[in-house]
Amino acid sequence: MHTLKIKDLTVSVENKTILKNFNLEIKSGEIHAIMGPNGTGKSTLSKVIMGDSNYKVEKGNIYFDDKEINNMPTDERARLGLFLGYQMPPEIEGVSNADFLRAAIHNKDENFKLYDFIKKINTNVEQLSMDKQMIHRGINEGFSGGERKKNEILQMYMLEPNTIILDEIDSGLDVDSLRVVGENVMKYYEKEKPAILLITHYQRLLDYIKPDYVHIMKEGAIVKTGDKNLVSEIEKYGYDDKKLGTNVVEEN
Amino acid sequence: MNKIILENDKIKKEELDESIKYDLFTNDTFGISSLTLEITKDTSLEIDYDFKEMTKIETIIVVNKNVNLQLFEKITGTNAKKRTKYYLKENSKVKISKFNNIEEIKEYTIINLDEKHAVIEYNLKTISEHDENYDILTYHNASETISKINPNGVNIKDGKLKFNVSSFVPKKIVKCDASQNNKIINLTNNECIINPNLYIDEYDVTANHSAWIGTFKSDELFYLMSRGISKTDAIKLLIKGFLTNKMDIAEEEKELIKNTVDNYWR
Repeated sequence: MHTLKIKDLTVSVENKTILKNFNLEIKSGEIHAIMGPNGTGKSTLSKVIMGDSNYKVEKGNIYFDDKEINNMPTDERARLGLFLGYQMPPEIEGVSNADFLRAAIHNKDENFKLYDFIKKINTNVEQLSMDKQMIHRGINEGFSGGERKKNEILQMYMLEPNTIILDEIDSGLDVDSLRVVGENVMKYYEKEKPAILLITHYQRLLDYIKPDYVHIMKEGAIVKTGDKNLVSEIEKYGYDDKKLGTNVVEEN
Repeated sequence: MNKIILENDKIKKEELDESIKYDLFTNDTFGISSLTLEITKDTSLEIDYDFKEMTKIETIIVVNKNVNLQLFEKITGTNAKKRTKYYLKENSKVKISKFNNIEEIKEYTIINLDEKHAVIEYNLKTISEHDENYDILTYHNASETISKINPNGVNIKDGKLKFNVSSFVPKKIVKCDASQNNKIINLTNNECIINPNLYIDEYDVTANHSAWIGTFKSDELFYLMSRGISKTDAIKLLIKGFLTNKMDIAEEEKELIKNTVDNYWR
């Protein structure tokens, strides 16, 4: 059982405050979805959890299994089992997916066996309906939006994280790719029971990945929490404060 | 594959078939050894230069009409002054993949696209740990010729890396494509310089150049580290990718370049 806890977190970038006293706790086996308008700090949250040095933690803490990880380097957080599925994963020319994943697994487990690695990557590539040649191509080099997202899920399968943050993993996906991604996230969830934090704009991803909790985020904080029925309200009313009862009170 | 191995300015070994004619002589006036190669049929060639002591050498490569050449050039050793001249005839196509791992070098490369439809792609990769100076001059001497010049280097330790890259298209030489993509990853506080020059005297030409000096992008590093790869290993991975990217060479040769990187960053 693992717990990711974010307590009273205030974060800024270039002197602009993005997250304001943000609080959230996620345990293994729980699926949380965060929804909210553009520019409200959802992607910032995902980067801050992974330790992106471009963001400054002004106050508050991030705990993993009760251990404060505010100053822990990104790679160490990942080796604890945290995984971020990117909205726009970068293209890295020349570094093949295979070399990249081999390095990632080697950093996690020095005794890994190459044969097992090849077997595992081939199985997962097939399961995700990916082109086998892509593992020898540069990371996301010339990949379509759908291929990039599938590549993120492939990495999730290979690294077997216990806490997964998926930042708009549904953006840019056609219906078939959305189904493959959604079903594979759930397949992994059924097997490993990780904690999942989904950041999304749309209900369509939640047709595949069923959240236990839905949070509405506005102006850097969670303003309302509910169950999956809250998604229907958002679909119906948008992010209308009056109808959703999500007025943000400015601190003096 | 055809192969020539040189130690300093002497040929140590050669395995060449009938597609390549060669000669090595010393220019009496300047005392510089000159290796001349004429490529008469489609082929691939590897030239390994190992400069165990300060060496001055000139290489002249003539690629005949309608001939494709795939060239892999490797330079190792201590110190050299090297001049290379390419002469490309009509409809000849040359792709050069070049890896330098030498302590110091001054290299002067002249590419002559002498006849119509001659095409060259020049990919230089170097690990610079002392002074390295590259002048690469491309002359579009005929219409409808194409040059893609891509000098890439990683600057480390006491390295001072300089690329002077110039492409020339004179008047009345039309429908040429001249591009340069110069990049230096500078992992020191030393000064590195790129001078990307386009001397174009004709309107009907496509030309572009780029020059980039800096470290790796922070989002690339963050992405690799977010998968549990340590910062050192992430940088090594990026260097290996940078030095093998676009290199049209065998996997074993790519492994050799990657092992060289491992040796520097143990």
